[in-house]
Amino acid sequence: MGAALRLLLFLGATLALGAQNATPPPIDLQRIHFGQWKRELASLKGRIVVVDVWATWCAPCLERFPHVVTLYNQYKDRGVTFVSLCVDDREDPQAVEQARQFLRRQKAAFRNYLMDENITQAFEKLDLLGIPAVFIYDRSGRLRHNFNGDDPNHQFTQKQVEEALARLVADQDQ
Amino acid sequence: MTLHWKPYALAAALVTLVAATVLSGAKYNSVIQIGMKAPSFSNLPGIDGKTYSLPDFKEDAVVLVFLANHCPWVRGGEKDLIKIVDDFKGKSVRFIGLGVNLRQDDALPAMKERAAKVGYNLLYLHDPTQEIGRKYGATRTPEYFVLNKERKVIYAGLLTNSPALIQSDGSSRYVNGEPKDFYVRDAINAALAGKPAPVAETRAQGCTVEYSGR
Repeated sequence: MGAALRLLLFLGATLALGAQNATPPPIDLQRIHFGQWKRELASLKGRIVVVDVWATWCAPCLERFPHVVTLYNQYKDRGVTFVSLCVDDREDPQAVEQARQFLRRQKAAFRNYLMDENITQAFEKLDLLGIPAVFIYDRSGRLRHNFNGDDPNHQFTQKQVEEALARLVADQDQ
Repeated sequence: MTLHWKPYALAAALVTLVAATVLSGAKYNSVIQIGMKAPSFSNLPGIDGKTYSLPDFKEDAVVLVFLANHCPWVRGGEKDLIKIVDDFKGKSVRFIGLGVNLRQDDALPAMKERAAKVGYNLLYLHDPTQEIGRKYGATRTPEYFVLNKERKVIYAGLLTNSPALIQSDGSSRYVNGEPKDFYVRDAINAALAGKPAPVAETRAQGCTVEYSGR
């Protein structure tokens, strides 16, 4: 009986540990300098990468974010890596916390970064006027689509993002 | 023949290059070019219940600023906007705020409310067709354009080198420290002196203007 109980306890503990290990890490927001960001992108070569640039001060970004999560769930097992890049004011701890909470509410179970640069410089380095913006890189690491709102006469839609990603995945599956 | 067309081609290329240089400067704005004739507008309703057209204004300088009530960058910069309008009181300068967003919280009734609450001291016009925003390539709020007496665009972009953002606690913070480059002020003074702006364009920073369709 003693041995059986010990075995049961051992099995129970193992299962509990296994279950614990299977729990995904909590959704977090990791600071990243621009140099690290470039290295991160380079390290993802070989995969299609979708980058969503957003901030809590950007209402359209918050409205569009669920679409990125939907795409993530659709493509996560098809060689596509999703990354969110937050350009909130790194010196406003409450805004950073709000961004973290937003990601958790959205169940953004992908890589979530906070650009650890002065906001003006972040936009300069990303060569971007404004957000929301979605960048799609192909497997060779080339920027294939740069969806942004920088031209009033060429605004991007969620449908365009979907179609561009579907095309890229289909092309590269062949 | 072949000996002769090359100099012509070279001349044509040079003319193109010179023309491009004269109108150059729109490094960030995808629609306008610095030095071009300012796109006009007509019969835009103001929060005062009247309508306005660009040719109505006879001042030596006109400053257009695209605004949006909901935007934390606009709210952060309101104090400085009000101040610059005050600073040019008595000079031949007209400030015009423009709202082109289609959001309910940026529409005319909300514009009136916001202007009254914070004490906007400038005209504030609404363009629900968004055409004026498209013509100026205005993609951010706040985004400034300075027009000279000939109504040419001499400056486009930020108010200063350090935009202010409303923080979570309601305070505002200059994201690049105390401003030291006063682009709009310098451009207005240049317009009043009949000179080109010392800095003709900066990368506007702020909330996105969402345009419908296209």
